[in-house]
Formats: sequence, structure tokens, C-alpha cells
Amino acid sequence: MTAVTYLEAIHAALADALRDDERVFLLGEDIGHLGGAFGATKGLFEEFGEDRVLDTPISEEGFVGAAIGAAWMGERPVVELQFADFVTCPFDIIVTVAAKTHWRSGIALPLTIRMPSGGGVRGGPFHAGSPEGWFVGQPGLKVVCPGTVEDAYGLLRAAIDDPDPVLVFEHKGLYRRLKAEAPPPGHRTPIGRAYVAREGADATVITYGSGVTTALAAADRLGADVEVLDLRTVWPLDREAVLASVGKTSRVLVLQEAARSTGAAGLVLSVVAREGFELLDAPPALHAPPDTPVPFAPELEDAYLPSVDSTIRALEELLAY
Amino acid sequence: MPTEHPPIPCSSVPTVGRDARIALYRLVLRQRLFEERALALYRQGRIAGSFYDGRGQEAVAAAAGLALADGDVVCPLNRELATHFARGVTTADAFRNYLGRGDGPTRGRDGNMHFGMKTRDVFPLVSMLGDLVPVTVGAALAFKRRHEPRVALTFLGEGALATGDSHEGLNLAGVWQVPAVFVLQRNQYAFSTPTAREMVNTRLAERIYGGWSIPCEAVDGTDAVETYDVVHAAVERARRGLGPQAVEAVTLRIHGHAAHDDARYVPQDLRDVYASRDPVDRLRLRLELDGLEPAELEVIQAEETETVLAGLAAAEASPPPDPATLEHGVWAAPPQRSATR
Repeated sequence: MTAVTYLEAIHAALADALRDDERVFLLGEDIGHLGGAFGATKGLFEEFGEDRVLDTPISEEGFVGAAIGAAWMGERPVVELQFADFVTCPFDIIVTVAAKTHWRSGIALPLTIRMPSGGGVRGGPFHAGSPEGWFVGQPGLKVVCPGTVEDAYGLLRAAIDDPDPVLVFEHKGLYRRLKAEAPPPGHRTPIGRAYVAREGADATVITYGSGVTTALAAADRLGADVEVLDLRTVWPLDREAVLASVGKTSRVLVLQEAARSTGAAGLVLSVVAREGFELLDAPPALHAPPDTPVPFAPELEDAYLPSVDSTIRALEELLAY
Repeated sequence: MPTEHPPIPCSSVPTVGRDARIALYRLVLRQRLFEERALALYRQGRIAGSFYDGRGQEAVAAAAGLALADGDVVCPLNRELATHFARGVTTADAFRNYLGRGDGPTRGRDGNMHFGMKTRDVFPLVSMLGDLVPVTVGAALAFKRRHEPRVALTFLGEGALATGDSHEGLNLAGVWQVPAVFVLQRNQYAFSTPTAREMVNTRLAERIYGGWSIPCEAVDGTDAVETYDVVHAAVERARRGLGPQAVEAVTLRIHGHAAHDDARYVPQDLRDVYASRDPVDRLRLRLELDGLEPAELEVIQAEETETVLAGLAAAEASPPPDPATLEHGVWAAPPQRSATR
């Protein structure tokens, strides 16, 4: 077995996509000579050249717009935003142009936007956010949040293949922390499908991104029969998988790293409440950070982020109801 | 037209031959006749929503559309219906969008000139002006990457030039040296705001070259012949690999921003300057001076009128959109399972 990190899986997905399809090219800040702020594109400039790996000026609206134009012409651009927090800058062109063009005109825009989200690295209010919730519910976009090494590879490959704009929220805290067997080259994780990461009968933790490892560890330590549903794609939501698991366990805890009133939780809880009400034995629970920006100081950030311990406490409350 | 403001004929640029002049005349006339008809329909309540036209700017739209070659792509804005027509969009296509028909370019999902056509390589306008500058740069980047001798063209008004999107797009065009052409529709007003309240240096061509090192020639945008010559040369320079190009076309937006705006803020002395610069009148006079017989001009007028009326009749016979299809096409590849209920 060859073990690779989550970041190495992303690097492999980019390299394999560049090799397999000449329409694929990468663009973003410092991704060429430097290899990216986190090293996701390290060596790709040297291997594939400046026509395939483009350094850009600091102009997210501009180069996401350019990726849209290239996608219109049938290319498969893959954009890197240096931090997911910076998605505020191209927000307009993502929502105005990328999301609405196919519905308005039938022009497909096969565009991938990768961005490192999440905390645990003392990044503070502008380098540790989980802004995926801004795009949950936006017609025309697809939003994926890999929580495993396999999906870091497979969701990115699927995003690059996909004819629609796909936002890939990578978790920077998992980049070097998560290690697993190398995904087989060419592996694809289907977009729009959740995955039961751990079978259980007493309660379901519905989560994504960094929440997957947290939930699995909490379930193991708790010793209860807890199911973990990894959404993988947070928009459009795999509501059948959500309801199937609720039907099995009758108790739901939604766990996410995004602040409690953002993220995917609102949509998941509305599906559970509206369509799964009669399946429930307890009020659906939410474990997520408070509604503040991500704080910097270790004492504050550690208190802010869901941990294995705090998730265990949330599960205990749910099971005791 | 008022006799105190007789039209000034278009320039007689030797490189723009008789066929091109007639083609330009047909385009400016088609936009004029289409928009006059559509405005009447709007006032009758037969076109819903808002109504925008390009009166006074038809020559720029026609010139830029005609300057493009097969395989080139374009992102028109609000006042460039003639550009759509030059690319093969029909009057029926356009009327179907204005009327919100089910078989129109946006199938009733968007109205008026907010449309594009995939089959004509025309990208649909978005209302956030400036957004299509980087999109155009990206299309041109694709051509450069594939070594294809194609050009991408878009327009921006002096209003859009104040946006960050325009700056980012122009900067990227320069850094990447892509075959993009930017036609600046300097129509003097962004809604009600005159150019001098949008920027300090109002010499756009100077700013485009000085700020982004993109060659930019200023031209009288009411002179279709001269504008065509200048835009065509810019397009061909871009095609030859000389990098992004720009043209500042100076006009006056004769009508308001939209039909609900009477543009009373435009001073009379400025209107007087443009009274003798109606793009349609100027080009017709040029053709008369070129020796076209009145009968030939009458035939063109009759044919273009018929093209507009036939397009309207076809659009009126088109079916309305079916509300049951509203969620179709949100995604090119919809989720296998339903996203919401």
C-alpha cells in the first residue's frame, strides 16, 4: 500500500487530468513557479509548461471570468483560489455568469474552482473560513467538500469532467493531516451522492469536509452504534441518502465546521424536518461553531471549532433524549 | 429631420467598399426599425419588463459585428442589436426574446436584449456590466492556447470602465496578450451620470493605452464607415497576434437608459451637436453621394422593414414558455436524484 496525503491526492488528480485531457489547464495566483501557496500544483509548471499552468495577477474576478470564457470555448479550466475566503472577490461572476448561463442560454460552462477552506491552522477571519454555504441553493452550481483522501482525488476528477461549474472546497487542515491509500488513477467520486462512511443504528451524524474524520473518531470513542453520512456534495443535496439514514436511526446530528447559520446545515435540517419528521425520535440536532468569523488565538479557535470531544457530548445529548 | 441640422455624410474611407457600406446600412437600419417597432410594442404593453435601445449607437454595433469573421465570438451589451444581426441572429430570434416566447434564445427565461445564442457564438449579456470583459479575455485565451486565428470582441461603456471587473479583464488581456478587442461605447451617460462625474481623465483612448498598454484609437461612432474601418483594423491586428486592441467610439445615447427614462438631464446643446449625426441618416447620405439610386435605397428600406415585420410575425406565432419546463436546464448535467422537493 502506498499512503498519500489529502494534498498529494489533489496534486495527483490535477496531474492526471492534465495528462488525460489537453483541454484541461490550471490558473491561479502563484500556482506556476511557486507550485501554489500550499503546494497543490508543485512541479506541474515544470512538467506541463506555461500554457497549461498559468500564474495570474491578483484578480480573482478577472481570472474566474477568464476561466468562464475559456469554458465557453470548450476548454476545461481549473481555477485555484489561494484561500476559500477570497471567493468573496469573484462572487459576482460565479453567481451572475457561471451559475445562470446554462439555464438562460444552453451554453455549458465546464469550470472547476478549487479553494482551501477551513480552520485549525490559526488563519483568523480571512484565511480559515468555510464559505460553502453562500453557494448552497444557488441553481446552476455544484458544491463539493471532500472529507477523505479518496474523495479529494475522486471529487476533483469528477468536477473537472463535469459540464457544469463545480466549486471544490478543499479542507486545508486535512491537507497534510489526512493520509490513506492512494486512490486508483482515474477514480471518480460521483457528484451529488452522499456516502455512508460508518454504518450504525442508533443515531446518524450528517457531515462533510473536516466533519467526517471528527465524526468517525467520535463514533469510535463513544462506543455507540452511530452512523456517519458523508455528504461529499453539499449542493445539490442527496436528500434520498439523508432520509434513508434518518429512517434507519431516527436520530440526527448535523455536524459542520461552517458557522451554525451558514454551511449546508440549514438545507439538511429543512429536509429532515419537512420530509423526515415522522421518522424522528428526537429533535434534529446541530453541532457547529457560533455565528462569528473564525477567530485567530488558539484558545478562541479551539473553542470555536467542533472537536471530537464536543461532538461526543452532542451525540450523548442526542442519544439521551 | 430638422432642417437646421442637416446630416453630415459618413466619411468616404477608400478601404471600405460599396458592398461593406451597403451591408452596414442594412444593419443600422435593421436595428433602428426593429427597436422602433419594439418600443411601440412596449408602450402598448405587448412587451413586458423594461425596454432598452441603442438609438444613436447603431453604427458602432453594426461596424463591430461586421468587422468579425466566421469563427470569431462576441459578447454584445444593451445597445448592440445590429451586432447580433451581423452574426446571424434573426429578427425572429430577437423578437422571441423580447416577447418571452418558449422557442426564443432564452425560452422566456430572460427578456429584451438579455440574450445570446450558442449557435451564433454570441454570449448572453448579463446586467452586471464589466463582467463580460474577463469572459471575453478567457475566450481569447482559449484561441491563443489552441493557436487558432480567432478573435473575441466585447463592448463596454464609460460607465462599465469604472468597475473593477473591467480593470481586471483589461489587465489580464494585456498580461496574457490575447486576441481580444474592446469597443468602448462612449455614449456620454451611464444612466444619468455624465462621463465627467465617472472619471477624472475622460479621454478613454488615452487611458486604455496609458493604463493597460492596449492600443486604442478614438473614432466618431456615428460614422459607420469610419468606425468599421477602425474596428476591422483592430480585429485584424488582434488576429495577427499583436495582442489586445481597443477602439473608443464616441456617440450620444439619444434615448434614456431605458424606456422609463426620458433623459431630460442631457443638455440641449449636446443634443444639437448630435442632431446632424444620426448614424442612419449619415450613412444613407453617404450612399447617395456614392451614387446609389433612390430606388435602390427604397428597396433596401422596404426589405429591411419586411425583415423586421416578418420576424415579429414569426415571434408572435411562437408558443409561450411552458411553466412545467422551468427547472429544465438549471444544470447541463442535472443531479441523478432530485435536489429539493
